Order: sequence, then structure tokens, then C-alpha cells
Amino acid sequence: MFPTPAKRDGVLPGFRLGLGYTLTYLTLLVLIPLGGMILMTGKLSWNNFWEIATAERALASYRVTFGASLFAATVNAVFGLIVAWVLVRYPFPGKRFVDALVDLPFALPTAVAGITLATLYAENGWVGQFLAKFGIKVAFTPLGIVVALIFVTLPFVVRTLQPVIEDIEAEVEEAAASLGATRWQTFVRVLLPGIFPAWLTGFTLAFSRAIGEFGSVIFIAGNMPLISEITPLLIISKLEQYDLLGATALAVVMLVISFVMLLVINLLQWWAANRHAKGSDAEPAEALAPAALVEARP
Amino acid sequence: MSIEIRNISKRFGNFVALDDLSLDIPTGELVALLGPSGCGKTTLLRIIAGMETPDAGSVLFGGQEATHVHARERQVGFVFQHYALFRHMSVFENVAFGLRVRPRKERPSEAEIRERVMGLLKLVQLDWLAQRYPSQLSGGQRQRIALARALAVEPKVLLLDEPFGALDTKVRKELRRWLRRLHDEMHISSVFVTHDQEEALEVADRVVVMNRGHIEQIGSPDEVYSSPASPFVYQFLGNVNVFHSRLHGSWAEVEREGEAPTAGSIAFVRPHDIELDVAPLAGGMTAGVRHVHRIGPLVRVELEHDGETIEVELTRERAASLELPVGKTVWIKPRQAKVFAAEATAPAGKQPFLF
Amino acid sequence: MTVRRATAEPRWVRLLLTGVALGFLFLFLVLPLIAVFWEAFAQGAQTYWEALKDSEARSAMLLTLTIAAVVLPFNIAFGVAAAWAIAKFEFRGKSLLTTLIDLPFAVSPVVAGLIFIILFGAQGFFGSWLAANDIKIIFALPGMVLATLFVTFPFVARELIPLMQAQGRDEEEAAISLGASGWQMFWRVTVPNIKWGLMYGVILANARAMGEFGAVSVVSGHIRGETNTLPLHVEILYNEYNQIGAFAAATVLAFLGLVTLVAKTVVEWRMRKETEMLTADLPPEKTELPPTVATERP
Repeated sequence: MFPTPAKRDGVLPGFRLGLGYTLTYLTLLVLIPLGGMILMTGKLSWNNFWEIATAERALASYRVTFGASLFAATVNAVFGLIVAWVLVRYPFPGKRFVDALVDLPFALPTAVAGITLATLYAENGWVGQFLAKFGIKVAFTPLGIVVALIFVTLPFVVRTLQPVIEDIEAEVEEAAASLGATRWQTFVRVLLPGIFPAWLTGFTLAFSRAIGEFGSVIFIAGNMPLISEITPLLIISKLEQYDLLGATALAVVMLVISFVMLLVINLLQWWAANRHAKGSDAEPAEALAPAALVEARP
Repeated sequence: MSIEIRNISKRFGNFVALDDLSLDIPTGELVALLGPSGCGKTTLLRIIAGMETPDAGSVLFGGQEATHVHARERQVGFVFQHYALFRHMSVFENVAFGLRVRPRKERPSEAEIRERVMGLLKLVQLDWLAQRYPSQLSGGQRQRIALARALAVEPKVLLLDEPFGALDTKVRKELRRWLRRLHDEMHISSVFVTHDQEEALEVADRVVVMNRGHIEQIGSPDEVYSSPASPFVYQFLGNVNVFHSRLHGSWAEVEREGEAPTAGSIAFVRPHDIELDVAPLAGGMTAGVRHVHRIGPLVRVELEHDGETIEVELTRERAASLELPVGKTVWIKPRQAKVFAAEATAPAGKQPFLF
Repeated sequence: MTVRRATAEPRWVRLLLTGVALGFLFLFLVLPLIAVFWEAFAQGAQTYWEALKDSEARSAMLLTLTIAAVVLPFNIAFGVAAAWAIAKFEFRGKSLLTTLIDLPFAVSPVVAGLIFIILFGAQGFFGSWLAANDIKIIFALPGMVLATLFVTFPFVARELIPLMQAQGRDEEEAAISLGASGWQMFWRVTVPNIKWGLMYGVILANARAMGEFGAVSVVSGHIRGETNTLPLHVEILYNEYNQIGAFAAATVLAFLGLVTLVAKTVVEWRMRKETEMLTADLPPEKTELPPTVATERP
């Protein structure tokens, strides 16, 4: 499964060194530990594994994790589109500041986000007391998990959409307008299809990050088994009870989900890059690479 | 220094870039490698520079085996198509780079470096730009700096990859005359790659026409233009009318000096080698005027004969004296043509030449 | 009244969208940021300073800095090596390798911690051997470094691969053809060209290394004054209902986040300026005939 160099000539040095170091480091730090985890599940029989993976508490934790992640990713998809659109298209004072601020969730440690959101949305918090008047409880309920996940995954949709919206050619919109489309028709029929793959990619990235998130969630979730306990927390509580095999089984379930998400994201990006190429008889770009390298290097 | 290329082959995966190619470049010549993209010309240049290793064959510099000498030690000056100037270094530092990276023992002193670099910048007439950065230069200026940088290491051979490809027409024309003069002064063996026939014909001492990893013809600019060795060269250099002799039997008969026309022969006639008249021409044939384009000093007349298009080039005066309205029937006759048997147009093992 | 351009939305739509976007960002980003500092200073600057001067808080800060200082050089070396091999050479399995480098981003931080417990923990594969030789990895600094290395693994490489691909190989080849050795080429041509991209990757990796919670929490053992990083310290104080202490420590992390945002914005700005310089329209071509060598040199 290791890559083997197909082309080693050319004058640039350092290919063996670079690739060798990369593969060694990747193997030691990522592949062996992940492989070790899979090996550890081998100590469980299939029935045991299935029992742990489908126990009532585990199933409930999947529901909470997936439900909250889906909810949060959807909220971010909607508002992320609006934010990205506004940031690209409309001038307003302090725009550069706001643009930089969007990355805050990447820069702010999750534990800080967790305790702050828990305090804000507690029944006596700034936002919580306001919501309490309407009988909405956020902190220490599944809704709190959603709030934390919205915060943590907020940049994904915005950041994947921004460059794509910037790249829309003004001429396309002008053409639609000159053909008699209203602004809304232009948006729905011309612009939205163009940015859809990026939108979906942003949504999937947010969703994938939300599933694994731990630090920001545990402070606000209340962590009640069957109700507001996420899978990563269940893994930790098994670990604290010295149930390493139980923790490993659940971790493998999460790892498989991660792999699937990674695959989906790669497929989405491939689709976004290639969907306009289909129908033409162009060969895949990679097959053309050698010749292109020789004669047509930019 | 002379360059000899012996039986070089190079493949990239399934793509054959060079197929058993040999070429001699005598000392001091300015040689153009001319061909369409994908013909292997850039690969050949990079093999001479030592940037690619051939699968088979050898490269000799001044009679010395150099195939496995590292690019670093070949003493070759290479000018990249997009100049590859170091974007974070000033013009001065770019030119000085090759001197500064020398081992301490061979490295010139700071004063010598300065003198040498400024001398080269004067040579390319850009000494006033020494402290600028590449991004502040125009394309033509970048090109000249890239040349100065390549010359700084006192190369024995100068290699240029599409040296004028990225410039606009006017600058390109000026720069290539300048390069020609620079070469005449320095007499350093130089090879440049181009897909522009005009550039090759105007600048080079010798032109090497390449196609699909082969050399089609080597010769002076005049030779390759006026006596093309193959249909490919005929087609690639300048406009040409193609007559299948089966369709134009009388034409082939006239031109093949008494030899009976074979069914599968093809005649090539340059547009300016066709005589055109409104009165009947002996041994000629008729054609209808379809378009008349006036292009600078020339008039290009597009004719139709038997459903095929024939182009004829006339001087402005000649066209004015003839009066050629669209639809008029005229007489044409080639002054000279070159006929290839159909087999000769299909090099062994390759697809037949199609028009 | 000015006539609206064909490709602009009506004014009320623009105002509405801008309002929604800014409202959303205010609620989820600005409000939490204010709340961190507000809570920390709720009982005055005096209490705040005392909470920060606490010896456990200080040892947590020191540990966090130590981990980051150990992790970053590894990240830089790996990122540069991987990007060099992937961006400048063609080889089979390249896209697989690129996907594997992204893998740690898809894995939940809790799983990232767990895999090292499985390898080196008491019940793990090497647990008894490590115990026999008196080597501590889990619940000690090495384990926390490993977990942090895992979660920050892709940052630098991800940043450098597209950058180095876009720059191509010409400049490096030019350096070699001018007689430079491999190291001269690397230090004089490659490094100056990638310095901003490298810095960007390091800033992101550093923010994550200092703020990581889930993965480090699993392997740390929460030994006060010994294996408590700053984010873990925040958690402990918060769970002890020491609101001021928790938020005081959190402000340090929040400040770190803000510094990250500023540094990131500055680097982004530098990178954009550099690409603008490279892609800007060329200065007008001098039309005077380029000098003839013959006439200029007597």
C-alpha cells in the first residue's frame, strides 16, 4: 500500500529523503496507532463487539451525536451561505474585522468555548435567561450540544463558500439578467447550482467535525446517559471504568464513520472539480500528466 | 563547445517523447529546435541541460561523455520559458546567484561579483534595474535578466526554452533580433526551442524540424523552407496547398518531369508559387474566386476547384491589375511544386499522414 | 434615485441579509468572546490576577508551552518533507498519501488519545514492557506530546502542498542549473518562497497544540501541577465551581486565540500581496528598440 516512485529522474534532489521521512513519520504516528486499535478489537469476539456497539446507551449516544451534528451543520449551512454571501458581496464598515473573526472557532480552544457557552446559555446567563422566558432550556440539554457544535463548526461552510462566490463571473449574472431573469431566478437557477458542490462540501466538513467534537460539548451537554451523552464521552467513561475493550469497540465505530466521511468529502471535491468536464472526451488529468510535464509546463 | 546527441530515447509512461534521435551541434552555432507541441523538443533541450535523464543514448559535450554529468556541473546556461527568476531576490541577486553558490575556493570576491553582474546587466542594457524585483519588470525585461543570469556562470552552452513565447508580438520581434546580435558577439553554442516557424527561420543558423520524437529535417533556414524533406516540414513551415494527384492528375504530370503520375501521389505548392490570370494559361486549370483578403502588402485569394480550397498569394499591384470579383473564374498554374509519393508521407510505424 | 444595477439585490434585501449575517456572528462569536473576559473580571482585576498567579495555573501554562515547543519542530519538518515530495515529484500512490495525511483531521480527538492508551497504557500492547522498564508515556509528558502530534499532524503539510504545487519546479531547477547544491537550493530558493505559507501552517498548528482538549485529556491523567495543560486546568477549576479561576485561565487561552487570529490575518494579507504582485499586469513594455550589443559596446 506504500507509494512507490514511478519517476525518479529530473534534477531536483530530496525525493527519497522527503518521501522516506513522510512515510516513516506517517507510519509511526498515524498508521501504527490506528492499526493497533483495530488489532485490539481482535480481542473481542464479533458477538461481543456487536453487543457493545449496539448497547442501548451506545445507540442513544449515536442518536444524540448524529442528531445534534446534523442539526448544527444544517444551521451553519443556512447561515454560512448568508454570511459568505454578505462578506463577498456587500460592503459594510468593519468588514475585514468581521471576516477575520469568522475563524475564531478555529483559534479559540474548545474548552474555553465550552465553559463560555455553558455560562451564556445557563438559565441565569445572558442568553439563557432570555430564552427561559419562552420556556426554552439550552444548557444541559441536547439543544446545548447543538449550540456548542454550531460554534465549533461555524467557519467550515463560510470558508468553503467564500472563494467560490468570489469566483463567480459577473458576466454569468449579467447574461441571466439580460435574458430576463429576476434576481431570485438568477440566484436559484444560475448561481446556486454553481456553488452547490462547495456548499455540500462545507456542510459535510462541518458535520464530520461535529461528530468527533468533545471539548466544547461536555461542558454544556449535561452528559446524562441516554439523553445528552455523546459517543466520545461514552468512550471516555468506559475508559475511566478501565473498560479498554469497550472503549476501543466504540472508537472503531467512530473511526469507520470518520473514514466514510473522509471518503464522501473526497468524492464531493472530485465531483466539484470534474462535473463540468464530463461529456467531453478529455482523459483524466492524471493520465495526461507525463506529456503535460514535458511540453506544456506553465 | 560542440554538442553531440547519440541515439537518445525517452519515454514518459506510454508516451514516447524521443525515439532514437541523433543530432550534432557544431561549436558556436545558433540552432533552433522547431516543432509542434508534444514533438519532444523541450524534452531534448532538458536532456541536453541534464534536467532529464535519457532512457537510452548519450550526450557528448566537446567530444566528452556528459550523459551522467549532473546539471550542476554541466556548465550549461538554461533560460526557462517563464524565466524562473527568483521572485524574492533583486535583479542583481538573481544574476549573482550562480556566482554566490560556488564553493568557497572558487567563489569570486564580492567586488568581482559586483563587477561581473553589473557588466552583464549593462550587456542586456538593464543595469538601471539592478535593485528592482522580478515582479516590477516587464516580460521583455524579465527575459533579458534571465539571459544575464544564465550567462553569469560563463556557460559553454546556452539553452533557451521558448525564449520569446510569453511576449507580445512587437517585443518578440525586437528581442529575437537582439538575441541574434548577442549571439554573433559571444559565439557561444546555443540551442533554442520554438514552435514559431518565423522565429526559427529568422534567428537560427540551422533549424532542426522535429515531429513525434523524430527529426524530420536539419538545414539552414533557407533549405528547410525552400526544399522541405518531408510533407510534414512542408506543412509546418508556411502555408501550402495540397493536391492529391489522383484528383489533379494533370498537375502532377506536369511537375514530375515526364514520369507517369502514380495514383497515390501528393503535390505541395506554396500559395506564392501559383500563377494566377484571368486569361487562359497553358497547362493550367480553372478555379472560382471565393474570397479576397487583403493582408498588408499581400492579397490572399481563396479559390475553389472541384470542391477543394486553393490559396494563392499575389502582390497588391498584381491583384489590382487583375480585378478579381468574388465568383469570377480564373486560371491557375503552379510555378513550382513538390510531389511526394503517398508512401513517403507515412513514416514507418506511424499513422498515415492525413489532410 | 439611482438606478439599481441589473446584478444587485434590492436595498432591503441587502440590509436584511447583512443584518442576519452580522446578528448570527454576533450571537455565536462576539458574545462568547465578551463573556470570557466579563466572567474573568466579574470580581475585579485583583481576584483575576490572583487566579492567574496561582502556582497550578502557572505550571499548566508552562506545560502547554513545553508541548507546543516540542511539537512544532516535528510538524515543520514533516510538513516540508511531505510537501516537497508530493508537490515537486510524480509518483504512484500520491493521492492516497495526500488522503492519509488528512486522516487525523477526520478522527475524533478522543479516539486520537485512545489509540495511544491502547499502545502504551497499562492494559495496552507495550504496557507491561514499559512498566518493567520504568518508562512512563501515558499520564506523562510523552503521551501528551504524542496525542498533540497526532491532532496537529496535517496542518503544515496541508498549507504547503498547494502552495508548492502552484510554484512549480522552475525556480529550483534554475538554481541547480546555475550550480547550486541541494541545500543551497533549499535554503536560498525554496524556503524564502514558502515562508509565509509555512508560517500560516505553524500558526494554525500552534493554536491547536496549545488549545487541544479531548486528545490530551484522555492521555494526561489530570495530575495537578504535573500533567495539567491550560485547557485541562480550565476544566478542573470549572468543575470545582471556581468560576473566576476557570475564566481567568480561559482569558489566557482566549488571548492566545486572538493573537492567532491577528497573526493569521497578517500572514494572509502578506500572502495575498505576494500573489497579487506575481499575477499583476506587467508594467508596460518599453517600446524603444532593445539595445543592440554592437552599437552599445565599442
